Amino acid sequence: MNKFLKSIGVFLVILFSISTVSAETLTNKLKNGGKLRLGFGTAVPWAYAGDNGQPLGFVNMIALTVLEEMGITEDQMEFKTFEWSGLIPGINAGRSDMITGGMYITPSRCKSMNFSDPIGVFGDAMMVPKGNPKGIYNYADVIKTGAKLVTGAGFNTVAAAKKYGVPESQMMLVEGEVGILAAMKAGRADVAVQTLFGGKEHVEKSNGMFEIADPKKMPEETLNVVGMGFRKTDTEFKDNFNKALAKVMANPAKMMKRAGKYGYGEAQIQPAHMTTAWACNR
Amino acid sequence: MSYFSFLVEHGSTLLLGTVTTVKVLICATILYALISIIFGLMRVSNNSVIQGIATVYIEFFRGTSLMVQLFWFYYVLPFFGLSLEAFTSGVVAIGLNFGAYGAEIVRGGILAVPKGQWEGAYALNLSPAKRMRRIIIPQIFPIILPPAANLTVELLKATALVALVTVVDLTFEAKQINAITWLSAQCFGTALIIYYIISRFFLVPFLRWLEILAARKIGKEKI
Amino acid sequence: MNAEWRWDFTYQILPKLLWATLNTIMAAGIGYAIAVIVGMLFLLGQRTPYKVINIIVREVVEFIRSTPLLIQLFFVYFVGPQFGLILSAWVTAMITIGLHFGTYLSEVYRGALEGVPKSQWEACRALNFSTIYTYRRIVFPQAFPIAIPGMGNYLVGIFKDTPLLSTIGVAELFHAATAVGGEHYRYLEPYTMVGVIFLALSIPAAIGIRKLERFVNKAQGKVKN
Repeated sequence: MNKFLKSIGVFLVILFSISTVSAETLTNKLKNGGKLRLGFGTAVPWAYAGDNGQPLGFVNMIALTVLEEMGITEDQMEFKTFEWSGLIPGINAGRSDMITGGMYITPSRCKSMNFSDPIGVFGDAMMVPKGNPKGIYNYADVIKTGAKLVTGAGFNTVAAAKKYGVPESQMMLVEGEVGILAAMKAGRADVAVQTLFGGKEHVEKSNGMFEIADPKKMPEETLNVVGMGFRKTDTEFKDNFNKALAKVMANPAKMMKRAGKYGYGEAQIQPAHMTTAWACNR
Repeated sequence: MSYFSFLVEHGSTLLLGTVTTVKVLICATILYALISIIFGLMRVSNNSVIQGIATVYIEFFRGTSLMVQLFWFYYVLPFFGLSLEAFTSGVVAIGLNFGAYGAEIVRGGILAVPKGQWEGAYALNLSPAKRMRRIIIPQIFPIILPPAANLTVELLKATALVALVTVVDLTFEAKQINAITWLSAQCFGTALIIYYIISRFFLVPFLRWLEILAARKIGKEKI
Repeated sequence: MNAEWRWDFTYQILPKLLWATLNTIMAAGIGYAIAVIVGMLFLLGQRTPYKVINIIVREVVEFIRSTPLLIQLFFVYFVGPQFGLILSAWVTAMITIGLHFGTYLSEVYRGALEGVPKSQWEACRALNFSTIYTYRRIVFPQAFPIAIPGMGNYLVGIFKDTPLLSTIGVAELFHAATAVGGEHYRYLEPYTMVGVIFLALSIPAAIGIRKLERFVNKAQGKVKN
């Protein structure tokens, strides 16, 4: 019996080999041989995991280039794929150390975490069935036509749609980009709103079932900057990241080569006034 | 893309996920078995405090949903200073949830041991601990194993939920492949078949073998 | 990192969660109703005079029973449209739950029918009752009380599996909690409240089923234990 109890004890100790949420800063953690955990969702071509969990997508490419500039190599990192809506709760619960999912810098997100300097400026777009039968180009059209609008839970577009007055009864929230395309393909929604990049990817994947409604007709202010996310407490690491990011951006050839194949280009480089502070206080 | 070329391209990824699923299955089964026995015994204790603790535990974990528990363990528990790895969170949540069901099976098993056995143990003046260990527990296995086997098959199916908290198991890989290739029928279909194979050709035969073993041990030949 | 519980936030989200709870109850109720019927079909399908059909149905039931509901949901949701089967998330969810739990209920029914003593059948045959009459007047009334606990347990079982439906976008309680948590980036209150609501519903349900079980037994003239 004692043996039995002992083995239970050992088993429980192993099971509960707790990695407590330590007060250790990220910089120190890395110095002590800890791993930097990058968290992202599944958003092609922004950031997603390959067949072996390896990071793909242009945000990951930019992050990797900057981290290498900081002297952090890939074998010092771990990559974790989250549901999109779990990314911010995940970093705050200590499940990841840095969000490379490609998040817009929005005021409400700034309250929950810190953002690096922007890595570029991006816009949202409506995706509609080929020929745009309902004539939908923006949120106002959605309200006017009474169309069902699908977007991802935790996406910036949820707040945007609300702000422009789309009633909740017309909204459909699904899990990530996959959920959006599934809903559109099955005709469960009339129109989808997501990033222009994400929308283009969907159009390509669906063999021309859909098209992007002219993004210029979206409200101007949906153009926004994107950054990497950090815990509020990891300011030192974030500052170092920003320094390295500035260096990479000053001489972007290497980064462009890696991120370029996912569609990222010069057009994404943001005007000088679009800083993180600007985006946080809009 | 033919199914064969799908398997060539993504088969190894799905197999790696399967290995994780089996790991979750084994760890969670061990944990739930231990919890079941401990709380099942507590449930039949004469001490009302011990019995009360077990009852609260059982009602709590059976009354809330496993998925809620899993998300709570993963996203909320760290705020209370306890941050288990994703894999461990999954195993612990599943173990605690199924342990609550298992404890009731164990309790039923203990109560089903014939009265004469208890009386015999009393007559021999065995201590309560010895009575349980030597007389009662060996006899409950043939009684509890069939329902516990059903519960374990349920547990295998429940392991799919850990994919939702970033554990890279079979379900996670299937979702991931679906997200990128959009070959839904192939990836989810293959995942379903793999779960079926694990259950039908590995887990169930193993549990049957355990049942026969337990019956033989106390001298009741089964079948 | 703080575990600070915010009551103002809790009150703010509670109405939303309670509304979504209605959807959860509705999902469980409709799913259960479908499962009850599907269960009967599965049972009948295993008892036809044609051996081939019996075997096929049994294998299908076995397959559905031993694979995860989560992947079945994904399968119907994602694969259905590729074959022109375009169903809303709700309908997908109800059909899948109905099929999944129908397999369990068919087992409950089978057990209940087998629980009716053989002598009852023999007596009916001796009295020259028709098969339908035998089922309706003799077998079902005796099998029903045996089936009650199992049937009740699976109602509660479906209820507790409804959070899975959030993964395909059914707006039930868990979905509402995730949405509201994703909006404010706080999961502490939403997920805890979901647990509380589940507990508040499933414990009375379990007690109710136990009472019903006792009532039916008494009505049948059998007193349990």
